[in-house]
Amino acid sequence: MPEFPISGYHGRVLVADLSRGDVRTVPLDPETALDYLGGRGLATRLLYDTIDPSSDPLGPGNAFVVAASPLIGSNAPTAGRGHMVFKSPLTGVLGTSNSGGTWGAAFKSAGFDALIVKGAAAAPVMIDIAPGKAEILPAGHVWGKTTHETNDILAAPAEPGEPVRVLCIGPAGENLVRFAAVANDRNRVYGRCGPGAVWGSKKLKAVRVRGREKTGLADPEKYRSGLDQALYLMKQAPVTKRLLRDLGTAGLVELINLIAMLPHKNFQDCLHRDEDVERISGETLAKSLLEKAGSCYLCPIGCQRHTRVAGRDGSEERGEGPEYETMVLMGPLCGIYDIDAITRANYRANELGLDTMSCGGTIACAMELAERGLLGREETDGLDLAFGSGAALEALVGMTARREGLGAALAEGAYRLAAGRGHREYAMTVKKLEIPAYDPRASYTQALGYMTSPTGACHLRGGYAVSLAFFGGAKEIPRFSLLQSPIAIRNMQNTGILQDSLGVCRFTGYAFSSDPWARMVSGVTGRDFSVARLDEIENRVATLERQFNVEAGATAEDDTLPDRFADVPIVVEGKERRISREDQERMKQDYYRVRGWDAAGRPTAGLLRALRVEGSRR
Amino acid sequence: MKIKAKFFAYFRDLFQGREREVVLLEGATVGDALAVLCDTPERRREVFAGDELKPHLVVMVNGIQVQSLRGLATPLAPGDTLAVFPILGGG
Repeated sequence: MPEFPISGYHGRVLVADLSRGDVRTVPLDPETALDYLGGRGLATRLLYDTIDPSSDPLGPGNAFVVAASPLIGSNAPTAGRGHMVFKSPLTGVLGTSNSGGTWGAAFKSAGFDALIVKGAAAAPVMIDIAPGKAEILPAGHVWGKTTHETNDILAAPAEPGEPVRVLCIGPAGENLVRFAAVANDRNRVYGRCGPGAVWGSKKLKAVRVRGREKTGLADPEKYRSGLDQALYLMKQAPVTKRLLRDLGTAGLVELINLIAMLPHKNFQDCLHRDEDVERISGETLAKSLLEKAGSCYLCPIGCQRHTRVAGRDGSEERGEGPEYETMVLMGPLCGIYDIDAITRANYRANELGLDTMSCGGTIACAMELAERGLLGREETDGLDLAFGSGAALEALVGMTARREGLGAALAEGAYRLAAGRGHREYAMTVKKLEIPAYDPRASYTQALGYMTSPTGACHLRGGYAVSLAFFGGAKEIPRFSLLQSPIAIRNMQNTGILQDSLGVCRFTGYAFSSDPWARMVSGVTGRDFSVARLDEIENRVATLERQFNVEAGATAEDDTLPDRFADVPIVVEGKERRISREDQERMKQDYYRVRGWDAAGRPTAGLLRALRVEGSRR
Repeated sequence: MKIKAKFFAYFRDLFQGREREVVLLEGATVGDALAVLCDTPERRREVFAGDELKPHLVVMVNGIQVQSLRGLATPLAPGDTLAVFPILGGG
């Protein structure tokens, strides 16, 4: 049996029970640490050992867990990201969300490996964490404030030069918007799956951390060999060397349009005029609104867009974004190509604490319902919801965060909005999570990723097949291979689990894969983490996530795309493409077999035992 | 025959513009078009590795990657659009 101390870990978990109003420190089980690494893996295990997966996501029985990783605290590139895991109020299954910024690194330096928050407070509170102590404080003075205001009030240092970092929700989280986000450093966001609503239901406004505690480096030579290789490869690969800094993620807009994958009008088609796409491209953003690129903690890539835009009243506004997903889901998905309107909507969503992706997807759904006469003007307070209206987009962001008028229905997400009107076929969601900005009909592998992501349609948890199919060379993974998709997407999902569990950025994957990480994490911990052992950890986490969802009531039926993608084709490379129900079923069954799950998508008892996943310890 | 070449990301600086018309002989290929476009050593260095396309490059004819066609030997037809990208990432 392993024992602490293990270099790279503090061996301590902070547990806050907001119902009882106390915070205590408990030891981290060393075997759990080595079996799940940190970040997403460790947080998922701790959540599974804390809550009943069938509990009400907005009740005190839900919890959220944030975990750091053994790499955080070293100087590995991008190793400072936090990962939050909870039961999602939007999807009803596992919710996981990841963010850059600096909070993850600051939390680790406060002397803990993970934070578990359970129960619910009666009045607004915040958690204040410093080395060796943590307490629950009243937060009435910041309740109702935006993420920016809250950050600026709470991040003021007690003494000059002291690093203080704040994680907080905005009004959207307080109002239990099902896709409310949690923000740090003002504009870095844990966006997907509605963590902000979980915080709101607990009356938790913020978690503030400060600290300078270090963890060790057990084998500096081994660590250094992995680090040197990683940094070398990042300087060689154009994406990590300069492209993301030059263009931001919106640099993808033109390419995704050229390969007929850029969604339009709530996924009705992928048809755009070239001159419209040019107006929202990364190249245009870089020439017009961009002030400078920025970086998260220890990141040499620098994809952040620090921008300025003319406000509706003519004043100048400053903020961050838009990223690719925001640009497209608040843009062409709503028929909008007005980069200023998209940018302002992005700013408001960040300030109010909304996931820009689900927000864009939900507004596009509302626009389609209006187009089809299923959402009348009497319901929209006179607002014209026609596709293409930037004014409607901007108004709806604020109304949604405040649950005003039609905003109350939008705050429930696209699925509940459409299903509530008897037309769930117009909700472009999987497991009620709004689909990212790549049309699944243009890549079977991406489609299967959306179907099998543990969190619903997510390109970050489901696998980012776009990069395999187009950026790595079309010969490697054909876009329309039913046979190759299941293994390809399993591999991409596993790489994502590793990155999320190490607290590092997806974009390192454009330069290198597991090997440098294996050496760095072995060097930090002094334990032998071979690539094969990391692969086993990835499979363990994927299976635990699935097991959580099975216990939460999810079935194979939920691993399905909306009817539109099976019934209505788009044209790709001169051919009509859709993904029939039979093809979906075939890919799904192959994927379950690759994972070692049964035909109903349930992990078998033998697999749970072999991976040491079985049995919650709650 | 005439075709249109479109440039993205840093290729816009390299080729000093967003797009350019290229006049070619009938039967010309993608390789021929790129050879005409790469009329400086710097341009050639960014596009070719020897006689092959440089890695980290995406070249498309009418939205189809040439790697899944006949590579540099892919024949062009009048009015075709050739797109030249570095490999991009994001999401």
